[in-house]
Amino acid sequence: MTNPSNKALISRRTILKASTAGATLAMLPIWAGQAQAACSTLRAGITGFNTINTMDPGKATLIPEYYVLWGVFNSLLKFDEQMKIVPDLAESYETLSPTIVKFVLRKGVKFHDGVDMTAEDVKFTLERLQSEAYGSPHKSKFDAISEIRIIDSHTVEIETSKPFAPLLSYLTNTRTGSQIVPRHLLENGTPESFATAPIGTGPFKVTGYEPGASISLAAHEDYFIDGLPVVKTVTMPLIAEESAGVTALLGGSIDVTSTAPFADIPNLEADPNVQVLKSPGTNIRFISMNNAVAPFDDVHFRRAVSMAFDRQAMVDVVIFGEGRTATGVVPSSIAWASLEETPDIMTFNPEKAKAELALSKYGAGTEATILTWGSSWWKRFAEVFALQVNQTLGVNFKVEVSESGAVYQRKKTGDFQATIWGWLGLIDPDEYAFEVLHSTGWRNFEKYSNPEVDRLLEAARGELDQEKRGQVYRQALTLANEDCPILPCFESNVHNLLAPKVKGFTQLPYSAYGSQLAEVSEC
Amino acid sequence: MTISLNYFLSRLLGACMTMIIGTFVVFIVMKAAPGDPALVVLGDFATPEAVARFNSEYGLDQPVLGQYLDWLKGIAQLDFGTSLSIASRQDISRLILFRLPNTFTIGIYAIAIAILVSLTLGTLAAIYRGSSIDAAATSVSVLGVSMPDFWLAYMLILGLSIGLGWFPSYGFIPVSTSFLGAMHSGFLPALAIAAPMAAVFSRTLRTSLVENLNRDHVLVAKSFGHPASFIFLHHVLRNSIIPYIVVIGLQIRYLLGGVVIIERVFGINGIGSLMVEAAFARDYFVVQACAVVFLAIVLSVNFIVDLVCALLDPKRSR
Repeated sequence: MTNPSNKALISRRTILKASTAGATLAMLPIWAGQAQAACSTLRAGITGFNTINTMDPGKATLIPEYYVLWGVFNSLLKFDEQMKIVPDLAESYETLSPTIVKFVLRKGVKFHDGVDMTAEDVKFTLERLQSEAYGSPHKSKFDAISEIRIIDSHTVEIETSKPFAPLLSYLTNTRTGSQIVPRHLLENGTPESFATAPIGTGPFKVTGYEPGASISLAAHEDYFIDGLPVVKTVTMPLIAEESAGVTALLGGSIDVTSTAPFADIPNLEADPNVQVLKSPGTNIRFISMNNAVAPFDDVHFRRAVSMAFDRQAMVDVVIFGEGRTATGVVPSSIAWASLEETPDIMTFNPEKAKAELALSKYGAGTEATILTWGSSWWKRFAEVFALQVNQTLGVNFKVEVSESGAVYQRKKTGDFQATIWGWLGLIDPDEYAFEVLHSTGWRNFEKYSNPEVDRLLEAARGELDQEKRGQVYRQALTLANEDCPILPCFESNVHNLLAPKVKGFTQLPYSAYGSQLAEVSEC
Repeated sequence: MTISLNYFLSRLLGACMTMIIGTFVVFIVMKAAPGDPALVVLGDFATPEAVARFNSEYGLDQPVLGQYLDWLKGIAQLDFGTSLSIASRQDISRLILFRLPNTFTIGIYAIAIAILVSLTLGTLAAIYRGSSIDAAATSVSVLGVSMPDFWLAYMLILGLSIGLGWFPSYGFIPVSTSFLGAMHSGFLPALAIAAPMAAVFSRTLRTSLVENLNRDHVLVAKSFGHPASFIFLHHVLRNSIIPYIVVIGLQIRYLLGGVVIIERVFGINGIGSLMVEAAFARDYFVVQACAVVFLAIVLSVNFIVDLVCALLDPKRSR
């Protein structure tokens, strides 16, 4: 035909033009349309975290790990919206004596591989947690169990060596490790694959795991509650940056988030393109003081500091009003065991604070270092505290910014004067009160010791009647608050963001993310 | 063009030494820094017994130098080992292989955008130097250098994603799944990384074009009556392109820095975000593996830049 070089030139240019136009055209409709797809797949982002080391409930510890596990497994019991214990795999339970609880299991519960769940699995799960060889981080919660008796295929009796009230909480589907695992797969040792492809009884089964990136779930067709789960598949992208989670949701890339940044809540609540769910969380944020070193070894000094700052101002400034002031170390969402009113000793009162300082062997000008770390609001927390106390008492508290792991390390070795601190998502008052305030509690980094508080906390452990037990905790908290071993400051709300179409998601105080996804009906 | 074997081998040896020293420094710094992978894994349940059990399980109670040498021995056999605290017991090579293509895609995409933009802006600015076009191109460049990439990333999300809905605000579709998907979902992150690079590139190109436009041989060529486009392509651009390519090579390390932040903002599963997570979680061996990969990329890009420059400039290979 014509000159070949000329032809090549034209066709090259044409190809370039065509491909550019084609690419532009092709990209927009196809990919922009994806966001509007029907809800066969729920895209439930895990925000603020992206580490999932294991999905073996006996080994898991991290919040994102449990976000998945709660939807993949069931425990004997669970919490309802009021944080009351209700049956889950157990159909009913009964306290036979102060040391024996009998569980009658649901019939027809199947593991994801189709095998029936029976009393054998319950016994196996708990003995596995107790075993030294298996080495569960949750082992200490189950040390009190002395015997697990199988009465028949669907009845179990659990006996403890002495009355141990927290046991029922530890048998719920929370961050307890007591999710029932299949004996038939694990009795000869847990295979490595169980950590990445676990088999449970829950509404969802794990179909894919890309470390640090995403988890895929599919509906468990034989789930024991008819009609659940509603959605057929769930993808859970692991989104390290909370703010990236917000933009992902606003941009239609995901349907639900597991958390939200406090600072964004007011704006998001006004935004019609997002639903904001919030409720008081089971958490406590406090100033942890080393009761064994100066100046916090003096109870009057600690009491003076406790009354020298405004906790409500802290809530407003540090977490943008997304929480409430604390009443003691037990969060108010565990209503049956926490104090209702903020005691005077934890209320801002400059006169009383100065009067208390006068009783102390340390006076104005006393120096101390408050350790904190740089991520999110933790640094502001320490700064707001130090600033207020310095202004009120004329002391000289300095804030030292470190890294959270480093602060933890220094707490464990007692190499600190004071730090900001907090516990999150623990569900039994014993985990807060006993572990933090008892002289042998492993979370008692403050080295606090008061024999009367110790006695009350031990009594509470043995009291099986919830109401009476709650009363004992309140007595212990009232006593401990006067000693100010720690300065409880505030409790923060838990948040979920939902795309406008999403329906059926309910929020629980301990943030039962994975299990709640089963009830999502529209997305 | 010839490059002696000696030169090649000494470069390779140097690269290996750099890598060993680099990973050792990373390891020592991470070990010296406070924090503990056991605390990351065990979280709120890090009782002293559980921590001790974790450390013995992963050999972290062994002497520090021994841990490093064991790891090095593994590397020699192309075994990166397993993760400690971001994906316990998972093969690090698998973690990296999954992410490397994503980082590469975004990186190459960003460079392509930067080159395209800078060739246009730099050339226009040089040809019409002193005019309003030059001023506009310079302003765009200054803006590009001055905007922090993470800020630009959020602005792009706000405008083009949440506002107009043209691009996804989060996530990345790997090339292996869909090329168009990758180009679409990777556009905003690549643009955010490309902006400061494009600015630097176009400034460099403009300067060296202007310099060459004023050279004697260009004047001579003009006096011969060669067409302007011929002079520009053969006498100006070819001479100007060498510093341009050197700058592109040098910018690769900044590119890697940008990738780390941008991957987090857009939730792209790449090497950068992997390294950040691993550093936070004190997952020593994952951080080192990422350092090896980064070093390998920087060194090989430098090597390639040297080769290309030698090709373009015969004087260099002598």
